[in-house]
Amino acid sequence: MAITTEQVGGASVRVWADGAGPALVYLHGFERHPGEAPFLRALAGRRRVVAPEHPGYGESTGFEGFHDMVDVVLYYRRFIESLGGDPVDLVGHSLGGMFSAEIAALCPQVVRRLVLVGAYGLWRDDVPVPDPFAIEAADLGRAKWGAAGPVAEEPSIVLPEAENPNAAIYDRTRNLAAATKFLWPIPDRGLRRRLPFVKAPTLVVHGAEDGLVPAAYADEFASIIPDARVAIIAGAGHYPMVTHEREFVDAVERFLA
Amino acid sequence: MKFHWFAEVTYPHLPADFPKKHRSAWVDPPASLAEPLRAGEMYRMFIRLMQHADRMGFDGLAVNEHHQTAFAMTPSPNLLAASLAGTTENAAILVIGDSLALYNPPTRVAEEMAYLDCLSGGRLIAGFVFGTPMDSTFSYGIPPVELRDRFHEARELILRAWREPEPFAFNGEYTKLRYINVWPRPVQAPPPVWVPGSGSVETWDLVIDQDYCYGHLSFSGLNSARPLVERYWDYVDKRGGNMNPNRMAFTQICCVADTDEEAEREYYDAVKYFYTHNPTWMPFATPPGYQTLATLKAQMEGGFGRGISAEDRLRAARGEMSFWEYDEKGYIIAGTPARVRQRIRELATELRVGQLIPTLSMGDLAEETAHKNTTLFGREVIPYLRDLWADQPDHWTPRVSQQRVAANAPSLVEATR
Repeated sequence: MAITTEQVGGASVRVWADGAGPALVYLHGFERHPGEAPFLRALAGRRRVVAPEHPGYGESTGFEGFHDMVDVVLYYRRFIESLGGDPVDLVGHSLGGMFSAEIAALCPQVVRRLVLVGAYGLWRDDVPVPDPFAIEAADLGRAKWGAAGPVAEEPSIVLPEAENPNAAIYDRTRNLAAATKFLWPIPDRGLRRRLPFVKAPTLVVHGAEDGLVPAAYADEFASIIPDARVAIIAGAGHYPMVTHEREFVDAVERFLA
Repeated sequence: MKFHWFAEVTYPHLPADFPKKHRSAWVDPPASLAEPLRAGEMYRMFIRLMQHADRMGFDGLAVNEHHQTAFAMTPSPNLLAASLAGTTENAAILVIGDSLALYNPPTRVAEEMAYLDCLSGGRLIAGFVFGTPMDSTFSYGIPPVELRDRFHEARELILRAWREPEPFAFNGEYTKLRYINVWPRPVQAPPPVWVPGSGSVETWDLVIDQDYCYGHLSFSGLNSARPLVERYWDYVDKRGGNMNPNRMAFTQICCVADTDEEAEREYYDAVKYFYTHNPTWMPFATPPGYQTLATLKAQMEGGFGRGISAEDRLRAARGEMSFWEYDEKGYIIAGTPARVRQRIRELATELRVGQLIPTLSMGDLAEETAHKNTTLFGREVIPYLRDLWADQPDHWTPRVSQQRVAANAPSLVEATR
């Protein structure tokens, strides 16, 4: 299944979709859309998976319409409603997890079940979230991959200007610049006050060795969301769906079944 | 041509192993390294030096804004400017500048700059800056992707606050005020505006469209600046902008002495201190979104920075250049007044610079040396360069300071007597 470009309100966004059945919407993390990643293909084996690229990322437009989190939530409400009208299962990773939790709190009618993976959005003074924008490459690698170590090839959507030798630099700059809107300087936009309004049963998945969002945050999310359980994946960092694909997919499918 | 005295207010008592022990002089260096009483002595020294510069015929006294750094301990340039506005007579007060996105509400800038213009009798130059990434995004926490929008909204608010005769409402994205009514308004209507930049195309468009004075404020030397400044003027020309050199400012470390040997003896250690005690941790200098993608592309594909090799940059930062290599590569201009004025003439002619910002104290230079530097520069350099660009109008320095400096500065006749 290929990536298509869809119109959402005034935005033109890239969407990877595959499979059939009730929709699972996957919102990607702060670095990039993972493209046709193996874990998405695996999830799509049993149902319809729809993975949009955030406005401001890659080739997707509409970022200038985001003034604050309410705009993000309304944008994704429109996107989810465009899929057919039934509530969806929402899986959000990292920054996408922060967005997903907001959507579930503010628009409970569009979310059947919620999965948060290494989600940003909360802050604890006793366990500060490291600054993801000021970090040496080696430290970022450790934080992302945990004990599993770096993967040979990170899953990625096709880069804009892929033929340009600097494409990866431009892409990363564009994506992380957009992320600063919500994660800089502290990744807290008030989500803690809204999490009690999440109605959907929630699974909080977290890599035990996540160096970007420490695993203590899994319990923090679960303690505030009314109906939540935690699945810690041993040995995984910020990308359990990449380093521990089988465990990740099993946990998600069991929860959504 | 005009000359604006300047120095980075660098803490001069850092230990020699500072650059080895600390990754950055910006954002997170331990503040325990600066002794408050010695910082106070340093502030008084800079005020004395700039008061002296006012008497020596300088056109302006330049102050700048930086935060959380040993390199430039002037978190509010308006405070230093206020010390000068009330105790000097002739020179412009060049605030270069206030970091507009960091004032909430930006009315603060309109008020403080108006205060300075009133106190100085109409001698203020209003510099508006984005601030370095270390200042604006890390120390003050503005999301990089919002910095430019915030700057422009604040700029519009400030200029309108100076212009509108009646109270007005301002419904911005970041600032909402029902009643804006600055008391008092500035003497000048409005003060001249300068906006320095570091090669962003968007800033070039702004200064061209608004006819502001642009500034290339770096200490990486002529070789490093040349491609950037040439590109800027090409761009102005292509867009049909104002090519008047009086709307181009440029910083340059100058070390004047009676002989070349004396220059090396008096300044070499301080020059090395200046360049070696300013490490910047790379992530603090390159947050995503601080530059627009268009500017990043232009820089990566346009060969920006070709003017000087990476090796030379490293050697300069490590203090591995001889005094005269710093001079040869353009990091400094040093030597006798005759040599210095000839080199400045070449630089100003080549880069079309009408507003030089000579940096006459650097690093841990002794006050008496900086004082002598200022005297020699005022008497034996400035008067010889007044002819340059004198045929071009200058709308970018205040009328009052132009008149007073012309009436009171050492003249060429005096200087050569």
